[in-house]
Amino acid sequence: MSIILGVLEEGLIYAVMALGVYITYKILDFPDLSVDGTFPMGAAVTAALILKGVHPAATLLLAFFTGALAGCVTGLIHVKLKVRDLLAGIIVMTGLYSINLRIAGGKSNLPIFSRENIFENAFLEQHVPEAWSPYTAVIILFAITAVCKILLDLYLNTRSGYLLRATGDNDVLVTSLAKDKGMVRILGLAIANGFVALSGSIYCQHKGFFEISTGTGTMVMGLASVIIGTKLLKRFGAVKATTAVILGTIVYKACVSLAIALGMEASDLKLITSVLFLGILVASGNKGRKVKAHA
Amino acid sequence: MLELNHIHKYYNAGTVNEMCLFQDFSLTIRDGEFVSVVGSNGSGKTSMLNIICGSIPLDDGMIRINGKDITHMPEYKRQRRIGRVYQNPAMGTCPSMTILENMALADNKGKSFNLRPGTNKQRIEFYREQLHMLGLGLEDKMDVKVGVLSGGQRQAMALLMSTMTPIEFLILDEHTAALDPKTADTIMELTDKVVKEKKLTTIMVTHNLRFAVEYGDRLLMMHQGQAVIDKAGAAKQQVRIDDILEKFNEISVECGN
Amino acid sequence: MRKSMNIIMAAAVAMAITGCASGKPAENAANQNAATEAAADAKAGTGAEAAGADNSAAGTDAKAGTDAEAAGADNSAADTTDGASYTIGIGQFAEHGSLDNCREGFLQGLAEEGIVEGENLTVLYENSQADGGTASQIIDNFLAKDTDLICAIATPMAQSAYSAAKKEDVPVIYTAVTDPVLAELANADGTPVGEITGTSDKLPVEKQLEMIRTLLPDAKKIGIMYSTSEINSVSAIEEYKAAAPNYGFEIVESGISATADIPLAADSLLEKVDCINNLTDNTVVSSLPLILDKAAKKGIPVFGSEIEQVRIGCLATVGLDYVSLGAQTGKMAAQVLKGEKKASEMSFEIIDEAAFYGNNKVAADLGITIPESLSSTAAEMFDEIVTE
Repeated sequence: MSIILGVLEEGLIYAVMALGVYITYKILDFPDLSVDGTFPMGAAVTAALILKGVHPAATLLLAFFTGALAGCVTGLIHVKLKVRDLLAGIIVMTGLYSINLRIAGGKSNLPIFSRENIFENAFLEQHVPEAWSPYTAVIILFAITAVCKILLDLYLNTRSGYLLRATGDNDVLVTSLAKDKGMVRILGLAIANGFVALSGSIYCQHKGFFEISTGTGTMVMGLASVIIGTKLLKRFGAVKATTAVILGTIVYKACVSLAIALGMEASDLKLITSVLFLGILVASGNKGRKVKAHA
Repeated sequence: MLELNHIHKYYNAGTVNEMCLFQDFSLTIRDGEFVSVVGSNGSGKTSMLNIICGSIPLDDGMIRINGKDITHMPEYKRQRRIGRVYQNPAMGTCPSMTILENMALADNKGKSFNLRPGTNKQRIEFYREQLHMLGLGLEDKMDVKVGVLSGGQRQAMALLMSTMTPIEFLILDEHTAALDPKTADTIMELTDKVVKEKKLTTIMVTHNLRFAVEYGDRLLMMHQGQAVIDKAGAAKQQVRIDDILEKFNEISVECGN
Repeated sequence: MRKSMNIIMAAAVAMAITGCASGKPAENAANQNAATEAAADAKAGTGAEAAGADNSAAGTDAKAGTDAEAAGADNSAADTTDGASYTIGIGQFAEHGSLDNCREGFLQGLAEEGIVEGENLTVLYENSQADGGTASQIIDNFLAKDTDLICAIATPMAQSAYSAAKKEDVPVIYTAVTDPVLAELANADGTPVGEITGTSDKLPVEKQLEMIRTLLPDAKKIGIMYSTSEINSVSAIEEYKAAAPNYGFEIVESGISATADIPLAADSLLEKVDCINNLTDNTVVSSLPLILDKAAKKGIPVFGSEIEQVRIGCLATVGLDYVSLGAQTGKMAAQVLKGEKKASEMSFEIIDEAAFYGNNKVAADLGITIPESLSSTAAEMFDEIVTE
């Protein structure tokens, strides 16, 4: 049972991040590498704020906003300074490494075990029956992820959301609609990185500490989750893309967990990830589009 | 009224490949005019449209709309008064969004793209009527993604979408070139209908000489950044396809082809 | 192709689910042992409870029929000895000489207490290769396999272990955590914050500085290179800065963020200092041969922080032997496994004895004589530079 709970917990934490990657990669068609920096940024902000006595739930929002700010920077670099999308992401990711260390007060590891967090606090202890306690984390994570998903779905159906989708689809049309496609890109990157930082904040509270190395590979994990979700799960009927992304993250985490359980070396995990990734891309037979789009 | 005053445009300025496209080019288009523009490749037709829309910057000169200088206005801001249909049918619609969503998107042009619902339910009936006008049966496929439609269907939608909100200019950039002859005819008729109905000032670039002759009330022929034919009103009505072809040949001889 | 991918994915999910079932029989086997013991003691209450567990065991076994292979393997491990038998998970944060020594020592320490791998001990070992995300999944995996104890090597692994294991009441024994208090794994007085304790590899800073002063009477500036991403190094730097003035030294620090920064940082640091002191910083240690080479060319001595570093060419250290640190940790783990003490009842321990290690070859190359007062107390003196 505990491995299922473990996979669900990990999956749901990263699902919020994957929703962010979904926005940039799938909707905006923007390979955003800054997420490798905004994920630990969310964690650093959370750890630092919780140590300052800020309410754990409030740190979720604040992490979202700082992430969104970083996303804006990526967008501005790309749109205003006309730096290529990949490079803009790399620049921000690299810079965030130092900024994250600054946020955490110069420390690469900031424990918050002794503080209350959204998973462990006096309120939950009083109100949640003992028998439920193994499941509280999953339930809370499920609630947060569900809220994020629903808000994102709602947003994508607003006028602004329509414009965001149009920008990734056909930015000429956005110009025709007398809207600045650059601003829409910046907005999209802000929302996406907000989600990623929120995910980092949840991660930090779940694990009880901030660690600078947690951001490594976030982008790849997010991409893998998005692709597993959208390519494979879509076949099983009319699943909403956001739902597919969340399920994709859980499947991805299940695969990693399985690889470890089967005794694969952790040093081989990245290779397994990349093979899995490639396998899904090939299997879903949709590999041509992106290649063409960037040719 | 649209005025292009003393336009200068060079490509690769300052290099050995420098190519002069426009040298002191001026053009005035009056309100309500439907201008057909023909010309050989590289004669500056599409560049003229791009200059009007702000897709490419100017080296010198001034563009005015109704007396207001828009030379330095960014492309997206100019588009508020301009509707543009491209040669490529994919440019005017969003393939991964449904027909309904595309219509709603176009309907919101000029409004604030805020957090209100993307599709206004009360407008759906209006969209349906508009789509019905196209006579392509699209009104029954409102939830179908535009990506699965044919080029002609998409171009019809693009035309509808670009003229849905009040605009001052309609720019047609070889908008029938990628379509088969029959669909091209349909789209052209539709264009004429929309232009007349909404009394739009229109600039149509085309390689189809028949369309250029049949439609519109002014004809321009571009060559090396200048208008070598410019006929309006009664003079335009007398122009025959042969006249244009003759001029084409004349130009070709000049160029030594 | 599409179909086959779908099948693979479905199989992956299915196996992830059955994978956790395979851990169950081991527990059931243990329960059966408990049941027989309890029956012998004729304690009705526990007997009934154990019988209940027995029933559930039968139920799971019947359900996990297809999983017979895995169940068999687990059972055989449990059945080898008639006494207690244990399964532990060792999670190591990074691949690194000192940490490997820790693990080796840990198993030695357990063996000295009669808990021997392959006999009455099953060891699950995982290395997260310095990836925080993988670390927490490794711990989840250990918990799913119902390990009796988790041994976490290095700070991030210990923190991951603590945060996951506390929900399941699985004790965690850590080692190579420089500052358990700063890592919030121990209270300020050294008592554990939960079912977690272990050993610290805190460097004997004062003794090291004293040794450097003895060997280099005229030195003024000590250069220390560290990676900004390693909390252990950051806290060690602070300690060195605080203690250095007492011995007439000034610390020149040089922070790096990746292995690629090391060559330039080393060049610039070597221009400014009289000697270099090396910490247990994973990134820097892995590039130590490069630093030693550059320093040797300039005739600047480099001091180490543990035995391995002296072996490969540092002049000397008053430092740790990670094997004995691991052994000390192993003994603590043995106490917990045998039920003699709970992890929460033991304060974390610092290595009892820091010893002097020197390298005569390096000293000769630099023209330094290691004084009798130091060499006579040395735990080990090397006469050559081992470069593997």
